[in-house]
Amino acid sequence: MIIRKFSGKKNFVLNVVFLVLIAASLVAALTIAYNFTSRYVYDEFEKKKTEVVDETIRPYNDFFQNKIPEISLYQGYLDPSSALKFSKTVLKQFPFVSRVIFYDTEVSNHKTEYAFRVNNLTIAPKSIAQFYRKQPDDSVLLYNINSGGRPIKYINEFNRVSVKLAAFLQSFELSKSTLSDESLGTFYNVTNNRVTFMNIPREEEIKAFKQLMDDNLKKSPVYQQDVLSFLLDPAKLRIKNIHPHFYQKIAIIPLTADIIDIEPEQVSTEFPLTGAFSSYKLHFTSSSDFLSDEILRRFFPLAVAILMVYGVILTIGFLIYRNLNINNKLFKLQYDFVNNLTHEFKTPVSVIKIAGNNIRRATQLTDRERLHYGKILDEEADKLNDLMNKLLSFTQIENQAIKVKRENINLEVFVQNMVDTYNIKYKDFQMEYTIRNVEHFYTDPVLLGSLFQNLMDNAYKYSLPGKKELVIDIAHEKTDIVFRFSDKGIGIPKDEMKNIFKKFYRIQSEYNQQGSVGLGLAFCKELVNFMEGDIAVRSRLGQGSEFTITLPYNYAG
Amino acid sequence: MRGNNFMLRHFGICLLLMVLGLFTHCKQETVARKIPLEDFFRNPEKTNFQLSPDGQQIAYLKPYKNRLNIFVQDVRGKNVRQLTNLTDRNVGFYCWANNSSLLFSPDSRSGAFLYSVDKEGKAVKELFADEKLNIKLINWRNIVSNELVLGLNKRDSTVFDAYKLNLSSGALKLLEVNPGNIFQWFTDGEGNIRMALASDGVNETLLFREYSDSPFKPVVTNNFKTKIKPVAFCDNDRTCIYAITNIKRDRSALVQFDCSLGKETKELYSHADVDVNDAEYSYKKRKLISVGYETWKRERYYLDNAASSIYKELQKLLPNTETIIADQDTAGSKLVIRTFTDRTQGAYYLYEPSAKKLNKLTEINPSIKAEEMCQMQAISFRNREGNIIRGYLTLPLRKDPVNLPVIVIPHGGPTDRNSWGYSSEIQFLANRGFAVFQLNFRGSGGYGKQFWISGFKKWGTLVQDDITDGVQWLIKEGIADSKRVGIYGAGFGGFSALNGLARHPDLYACGAAQSGYINLFTYLKAVPPYYKPTLQMYYEMIGNPETDIDYLREASPVFHADKIKAPVFIAQDSKDPRVKVNETNQFVKELRKRNIPVTYLVKETEKYTLRNPENRYEYYTKLERFFEKYLSNK
Repeated sequence: MIIRKFSGKKNFVLNVVFLVLIAASLVAALTIAYNFTSRYVYDEFEKKKTEVVDETIRPYNDFFQNKIPEISLYQGYLDPSSALKFSKTVLKQFPFVSRVIFYDTEVSNHKTEYAFRVNNLTIAPKSIAQFYRKQPDDSVLLYNINSGGRPIKYINEFNRVSVKLAAFLQSFELSKSTLSDESLGTFYNVTNNRVTFMNIPREEEIKAFKQLMDDNLKKSPVYQQDVLSFLLDPAKLRIKNIHPHFYQKIAIIPLTADIIDIEPEQVSTEFPLTGAFSSYKLHFTSSSDFLSDEILRRFFPLAVAILMVYGVILTIGFLIYRNLNINNKLFKLQYDFVNNLTHEFKTPVSVIKIAGNNIRRATQLTDRERLHYGKILDEEADKLNDLMNKLLSFTQIENQAIKVKRENINLEVFVQNMVDTYNIKYKDFQMEYTIRNVEHFYTDPVLLGSLFQNLMDNAYKYSLPGKKELVIDIAHEKTDIVFRFSDKGIGIPKDEMKNIFKKFYRIQSEYNQQGSVGLGLAFCKELVNFMEGDIAVRSRLGQGSEFTITLPYNYAG
Repeated sequence: MRGNNFMLRHFGICLLLMVLGLFTHCKQETVARKIPLEDFFRNPEKTNFQLSPDGQQIAYLKPYKNRLNIFVQDVRGKNVRQLTNLTDRNVGFYCWANNSSLLFSPDSRSGAFLYSVDKEGKAVKELFADEKLNIKLINWRNIVSNELVLGLNKRDSTVFDAYKLNLSSGALKLLEVNPGNIFQWFTDGEGNIRMALASDGVNETLLFREYSDSPFKPVVTNNFKTKIKPVAFCDNDRTCIYAITNIKRDRSALVQFDCSLGKETKELYSHADVDVNDAEYSYKKRKLISVGYETWKRERYYLDNAASSIYKELQKLLPNTETIIADQDTAGSKLVIRTFTDRTQGAYYLYEPSAKKLNKLTEINPSIKAEEMCQMQAISFRNREGNIIRGYLTLPLRKDPVNLPVIVIPHGGPTDRNSWGYSSEIQFLANRGFAVFQLNFRGSGGYGKQFWISGFKKWGTLVQDDITDGVQWLIKEGIADSKRVGIYGAGFGGFSALNGLARHPDLYACGAAQSGYINLFTYLKAVPPYYKPTLQMYYEMIGNPETDIDYLREASPVFHADKIKAPVFIAQDSKDPRVKVNETNQFVKELRKRNIPVTYLVKETEKYTLRNPENRYEYYTKLERFFEKYLSNK
C-alpha cells in the first residue's frame, strides 16, 4: 500500500515536470524561430536589392551588349533612312531610349565643314538625323552636307567620339598593333544618360585611318562610318520588383539625392545603377508593419511545423503514460488476486489445521466426532480441489490448451440435471427454466457445464436471502442458440459493467467477502470466446442482472 | 516420346540459328564498308606529271618529308632523281624550261620566287627571290629561245610590267611598261607581246597590236558581264585571234576574232546549252586542237583529226573512263594521260600513240577502291518558275534510294558550278550513308550569261528558292527523308546553308558552314574603297549597301540568328577578310544563348585552311560526327 501511494505521487510530479518542460521548450522554440525569421527577413531586405537592380538593368544590358554591336554589322553603310529603320526597332524594344541621333560619318583626309581634324585625318558628319517616338517627319534631318543646317548643338558628342578615335589612332602602331578586345572600348562613349557608339572599323580600315592621319597623302577615298548616339531616360526604366514581399516601394532617384525617412516606422536601402545610368540609384522602402507581415507570413509555416513536432512528442508521451498505467493496474489486479487467493486457501487450510489439531489432541474420538471431522476434512479438501481446478482450467483456456470433445446434448436432460444439483446444494435457491425451439445442442458438455456453474453460482452469490431466484431461458434464434440467465440479485453498477469480464476483477461489495477470486466471469468470457460465441450483460442495480450467452448453433446434426 | 520432343525442339533451335546466320551474312553484304576517313583525305603520292619537250624524261611532284618536291625519271621509269629539297614549303609551280632544265617556285602567298634546276638535280639557280615583289609567268607553256616572258611589279608595286628573262644568263629586260590598268599580257608564238587585257575593275578592254614595236590599240571594251578570253593567235592572219567569248551571245563560244575590226569573224564551236569553257592550242602544229565544254560532264570536241583519233584509241584502251591529256612532248609522240570517273580519282598513264602502248605511272589514291565508291548521277528538276535546274545526286552504296538522310551542298561562288567527277568530300559523306545532293542553281556559271546574271542580288532569295525547290523535289520523289535533310557548304555555300536554316527552319534538320558569308555588309566591306570600280561590280552582283540595305540585311544570316532552330556547325578562318571572326563569334553566342547546339571550329591565331592533311582530318572528323548525330537517327 505504501509503495502504491508513493509511486502515484511520483508519477504526478513527474508528469507535471514533463509537461512544464515541454511547454517551456515549445515557447523557447517558437521564440527562437520567430527571431530567426525576423532577422532573415531583414537580411534579405538588404540582400535581394541586387537582384532587383540586375533585373531592372537587364534591358539596358541587353541593349548595350546585343543591340548596339548590331550597328557594326552594317559596316558603316547606314544612311538616315536605314538608320531610321534600325532606330525604330531600338525605340520599340527599349522604352528607356528617348532619342537617337545618327551621324552618317565620313573618314578621309578632305577638308570639310564641321569636321574634326587631327593632322590630316578628317572625321566629319555627312548628315545628322534624329529619331524619337511620335516624331513629325520634317524633324528627322538636322544637318546635311549639301543642304545645310546648323549642327552645332549636336556636334559636341560627335567630337567626343572623334577624339577617342583619334587618341586611339595616335597610339596605334601600324606594324605591331592589332585590334584587341580592350581597344574596342574606344568606340563606345558612355556618359550620363547617353551611350554613343561608332561602328567598329575593320583592322585594314584602322590602318588606313592611321595612314591618313600620319602621312600627307593625295586626296583619299572616303571611308564610311556610322555614329549613333542614344539618349536615355532613367525614368522610363521599368523597375521590376521581383521581391514584392520585401519591398513596398522602389524608386529611381539621382545618386546624390537623400531621402530622409519621414515616418520612423520606415525601413529603407539603396543600390546604385550601372552603365549610362550610373548617376542614379534604386531606393527601396518598406514600412516595418509590412515587414512584420512578411515575417509572420514566413513564421507561420515554421510555427505549424514546430507545433506538429511537439504534438507528436506529446502523443508519444501520452501513449507511454497510458501503457504504464495499464501495467500498473494489471499489477494491482494480480496483487489483489494473490491476496484473495491466499484468503481462499487460508480458510480451508485453517479449518483442516483445526480439525487435524483436534483429532491429534483428542485421546479418543467418538463416532460422531470422527464423522464430523471426516466430513469437514472431505469438504475442505473438495473446496481446495475445486479452487485449483478452476485456476488450472482457466490457465489452460487462456493458453488454448483445452481440447474440445463435442457430443450431442439433450438440453432438457442437461438443464434438469444442473437444476437438480443446485437444489440439493442450495435449498433456498428458486430455479426455473424454459427451452424453446430446440432439443439438442452439439457441444462440449464440460465447457457448457462450466458456463452454467459459474453463472448459477454468481446468481446465487449476488442475491439477497429470500430473493435467490434464477430464470434460465434457452432459445434457438436464427443461426444461434441463446442462453439467458436472469436473476433478482443486487445488480451491477453501471460504471462496473465494462470491468466485470476482466481477469481478477471483483466488485467491491459486502456480498463477496468470501469464496470468490474474481475469476468466474472472466473465465466465462474466455470460454465463450473459445466457443466462438458472445457474452453480454444487462443489469439494474438492486433489481437484478441478465447474462446472455450466444453460441453458434451450426454444430448441430 | 520425351526424346522425340527434345529432338524436335533442338531442330527448331538449329533452324533458327541457321536463319539468323543467313540474316547476318546478308546484312554484312548489304552495308557498305566504312572506309577510314584518312583514306579519303590523304595527300596524293605522285602528282603533276610533266614530260620534257623531247619526251625522254618525266617530272612529277612527290612528298619528301611531307612536302611536295620535284622528282624526275626517264620514260621507262628508271633513274629516279630528286631535284629539289624543300622541307618547309611545297613546290607550288614547276615546268620544263627546255630538255635539260626545269623552272620552279615554292608555294607561297606573296613574294617573287623563281628558281631553275637542271634535270640531274644539280645547279639550282635562283632567278628571283624577293619577298616584296610578285611574279606572273606569261609564256611558260611556250618558252622560246630560252627566254621567259613574265610580269613583275618591280617598278610600281600595284602594277605588273612585262619583262623578258634570259634563263641561262639571268639577264632581265623590261619589255612593256604597264600604264596601270593591264592585268594580263599575251605573247605570240615567237614570244612577242602583242596582246593585253586591261581592266578598271568592272570593264575589261582588249588591247592589240600587229607588231611588237607598234602601240597597243583598244579593240573591244566589255562590261564585267561580258567576257573575251584570248586562246591563241591565228597562224595566217596577224590581226586574227582565237578567243572564247560571249559578246552578243548568251553562251560563250570559241570564235575567230578580228582585232582590226573589233569583231568576231567566224564561230568555230558553240554549244546550244552550255558555255564553251576552254580550248587547246598546239604551238607545234600551230592550230587549235580541241574545245572543251561542260554539259552534265566535261566534254571535248576535237578540231584536229590526229588528236581525235588518239582520243578514240584511248577510249578503246580505257573504256568507261574519262581521259584528259595532262601533258605531251613537243612532237606529240608521248602523252601523259590522266584518267578519272565519278568513283575514282584515277591514275596517270604514259601513252605512246604510235605504239598504242599505255603504261600506268601511278594511281592517285590507291587506298580508295572504285567499286566501293558511289555513283554520281546527273539529275534535273523544275524550280517554282518552271525552269530546269540541273544537279547531281550521289546515293550511298547498297541502300534503297528511299527515305534517305540527305545532305544538300550548295556550291561556292556562287558563280562556280558543280561538275561530274570524283570528289573526296562527297564520296566520304556518301560512304557514311548520306545521299549527297548538289545543284547548279541560278547564278551558277557555265549555263550562259543570263542564267548567271539571274542570280545577281538574289543570293538570299531566288537562289535560295532554287535550293529549297531542289530539296522539296527530292522529298517528293521519296528519295529524301523530310526529317533528315542537312545543308552544308563553303563560302557562298555556307551562306546558303545558314540562310536556309534561318529562312526554312522546318526544312533542315541541321546545317554546316565552312567560312560561310554570314554578313553581306562585311563581305562587301572586304573590298577597299579605293577599288571603286570593283566595288561597283560587287554592288551590282551582290547589292548596294546604300540602296539595297534592306535586302542585304534580310539576306545576311547574322541578323537572323533568332530564326534558326536546327543544330549548326561552323568552321571559321580567323583571318578571313570576308567573314569576320568576331561577327561569327557573336552569331555563335547568340545561337548558344538560345540553346541551339553549335559545333564551332575556329583557330584564333592561324588561318584555318584545309590544305594540309592534319586540318582536313580534324575538320572532317568533326563534320562526320555532326551529321552522324543530327541526321543518322530519326
